[in-house]
Amino acid sequence: MEIERRRPLDGVRVIDLTKIVAGPNATRMLATMGAEVIRVEWHDQRALDMLRMIRPAVPGGDPDSLNRSGLFNNLNAGKYGITLNMSLPQGRDLFKRLIAQASVLCENYSPEQMESWGLGYSALSQINPELIYLQITGMGKSGTYKAYRSVGPTAQALSGLTHMSGLPEPMPPAGWGYSYLDHSTGYYGAIFVLAALMKRRRTGRGCYIDLSQTETGLVLSGTAVLEAQITGKATERYGNRMPFAQWAPHGAFRCRGTDEWIAIAIQNDEQWAQFVEEMGSPEWACAARFAHASGRKTHEDELERLVAEFTQGQERYELMQRLQRRGIAAGPVQNAADRCERDPQLKYRGYFVPLPQSEIGTWPIEAFPAKFQNTPISVGGPPGRAAPLIGEDNDYVYREVLGLKPDEIAALKEDWVI
Amino acid sequence: MTIEAALSSALEGAVVIETGDQRGEFAGMLFAMFGAEVIKFEGRQGSNSRCIGPFAKSERDGEQSLYFERYNLGKKSVTLEFEHPAARAARHRLGSRADVVIDSGEADSVERRVKLYHEMQQSNPRLIVCTITPFGLDGPYRDLSMTDLTHLAMGGVMASCGYDPRPDGTYDTPPIAPAMWQAYHIACEHAVLAVFAALHFRELTGNGDLIDVSIHEAVSNCTEVAVPSYIYNHAIVQRQTGRHAAEHPTRPWLRRTNDGRYVKAFMFWSRHEARVIGEMLREAGIEHDLDSDSYRELCERSPSAGHSHLNGLVDKLAASMTADELFHRAQAKGLLWASVRVPEENMADPHFQARGTFQPLDGLVAGRALYYPVSLATDGNERLTAFQHGAPQLGEHTREVLTQLGISNAEINLLAREGAI
Repeated sequence: MEIERRRPLDGVRVIDLTKIVAGPNATRMLATMGAEVIRVEWHDQRALDMLRMIRPAVPGGDPDSLNRSGLFNNLNAGKYGITLNMSLPQGRDLFKRLIAQASVLCENYSPEQMESWGLGYSALSQINPELIYLQITGMGKSGTYKAYRSVGPTAQALSGLTHMSGLPEPMPPAGWGYSYLDHSTGYYGAIFVLAALMKRRRTGRGCYIDLSQTETGLVLSGTAVLEAQITGKATERYGNRMPFAQWAPHGAFRCRGTDEWIAIAIQNDEQWAQFVEEMGSPEWACAARFAHASGRKTHEDELERLVAEFTQGQERYELMQRLQRRGIAAGPVQNAADRCERDPQLKYRGYFVPLPQSEIGTWPIEAFPAKFQNTPISVGGPPGRAAPLIGEDNDYVYREVLGLKPDEIAALKEDWVI
Repeated sequence: MTIEAALSSALEGAVVIETGDQRGEFAGMLFAMFGAEVIKFEGRQGSNSRCIGPFAKSERDGEQSLYFERYNLGKKSVTLEFEHPAARAARHRLGSRADVVIDSGEADSVERRVKLYHEMQQSNPRLIVCTITPFGLDGPYRDLSMTDLTHLAMGGVMASCGYDPRPDGTYDTPPIAPAMWQAYHIACEHAVLAVFAALHFRELTGNGDLIDVSIHEAVSNCTEVAVPSYIYNHAIVQRQTGRHAAEHPTRPWLRRTNDGRYVKAFMFWSRHEARVIGEMLREAGIEHDLDSDSYRELCERSPSAGHSHLNGLVDKLAASMTADELFHRAQAKGLLWASVRVPEENMADPHFQARGTFQPLDGLVAGRALYYPVSLATDGNERLTAFQHGAPQLGEHTREVLTQLGISNAEINLLAREGAI
């Protein structure tokens, strides 16, 4: 089943006990690099990824199917999938046999779940001292909040990322319109595993990685913590403006159409002069108070209102092209339809990769955002496909990886273990 | 003194060259976090990021930029003009010693330097070169001028972030670009992933690589359900205040507390949550009917009406206590809630102190260490990564690095006379 071509993570087997976005995003990266990622799931709430049951779903088919979620398909491309009932002792024994043959375990269950099964790092490292165990939790596995529960939005709130996003008081925070920290923590999960694999090459030893989503958010809070220490002032929101340079106008401006906007960032007086010319040099724009960056910054409210009067009659892509020709950073606020249908760059670079899934057929999957001259990576991973059906690879894993005989596999199925 | 942290030696012995502008600095910093020797080539004027605020003291002082300080931890600074003809010998020697080059900027300038890296790869085929440019090194948008803001716009982040629409479904507020520098964060995370992939592949093949990271694609890759919603259902998610963008309006998560702050009350709207919230209301002395037959009947008759009723009671609960009080009480009962904090607030929190999340580093302010939020993982007890030192002063390591390359003092002085350092 495995493709013979060499890949960066050839020979690396990852046991994947992850759910939702953060964990699956980490293992997706590892699968893209050629690791053999085996998703372990079961038909109960603790072990089934709820993403299998939420929209968007491929229209038609069995409405109770666990294999029709588009987001799940996107996040779990390139992986194998098995069923294993970890709540039974036989299931845990099989799991230990898998661990004995694995390089990496990734999981983002509730913080104490694995210990409650007797499958914490101390137990598993006895079985396999080279094991790299990545555990992703909201707040980390040590410290006062080690038992606190969290999802991406919880961590975003606590870390400061929610507060920092949005228009200034008295408006509330806008926060993030999705679980940004699920994505980011997934990236760091993969990065830490890749670093640990590098170190293991030298030392022969594995390690435990207790990765915190909230701490990831703090790492991504820019200069806020430093500035607060210097000034003693609490971090404020500033909308789309640029508080650290005299860039103005700097924001999103309404264009022609329904909820269509363009982002414009004027960074110096020369660009402003070009912008004024593009607007047809209206009288207001030639006023002395707007001629220099400091004046535009001082009068930013008025400036933004006047710029918006100009942009509201403009088609956003045409305006982008005209401004870009004048050397001005400008781009439309693109929603998903825009990126899928109207973005020639993503199309040119082959950003969407068609991959088959065994029940729903072939759909576009978002690829890794880089081109390599030599290193072979593929979002379809070793199986060369999108996400696995639940239990799709039981036969391969239990027969070829664990070496079980057909009658043993049948008995395990009969006993509701796999 | 070497600061011990288990994975801070993961890249021990590896040499990473960093050139270009602010777009790739975070990637270089992450390599320093894992123990690589990261040598930043800034040129004699210094990196443009030394001019990015906020500043610790007066503006435009290149040694006072908090931005530079934040994104250049653990690096060495060399003022060699990388493309200067007189720098050829130094580049050549550097190329034979280096493992990785990170270069970022506009595609034109990066591509010009890629030719130099190809020369370096002639003598060192193991060299991995990673470029970070707005759209990658090819394609119709390759040369567009971009900033963090315009990347977040075109990459789809802003379309999902902002405030609720008006009752008629139209918006009177703009899409929001979440602060700060997130497009560059996302791109650099992917650059680091890509370089690690190439490092692992090099172990198998002995060969380096040229990696072309597109900031636009990286940002596009980071918008969760937005793209699948369109691909599979032709649905567009609509931005909402303080919660996920969604195809259809959802109930609020942000709740105002009695200290004028907010709690993010993430909910599944389950019966279990209603029961727990009922307990919390009772403990707070607030009357409620969540355990009554009438509420159960309401939920059965109209789940939406039941949720609305519960929603109002959550508002009352929030208004009865402070944000942190509600955060801890809710978590004690297993709810996935948190107070909406400013990042620096966490410095004094015993949880983050115990985990060593903030690492003190000397340098920017005389006589006083600043605390940097740089640790995101532990080994169960201690942080897994740490920086050996803060950001470098301009040219702090020029002579040291050039000497290590075998360039004599006389040659260094000649480079200086020719304007290459």
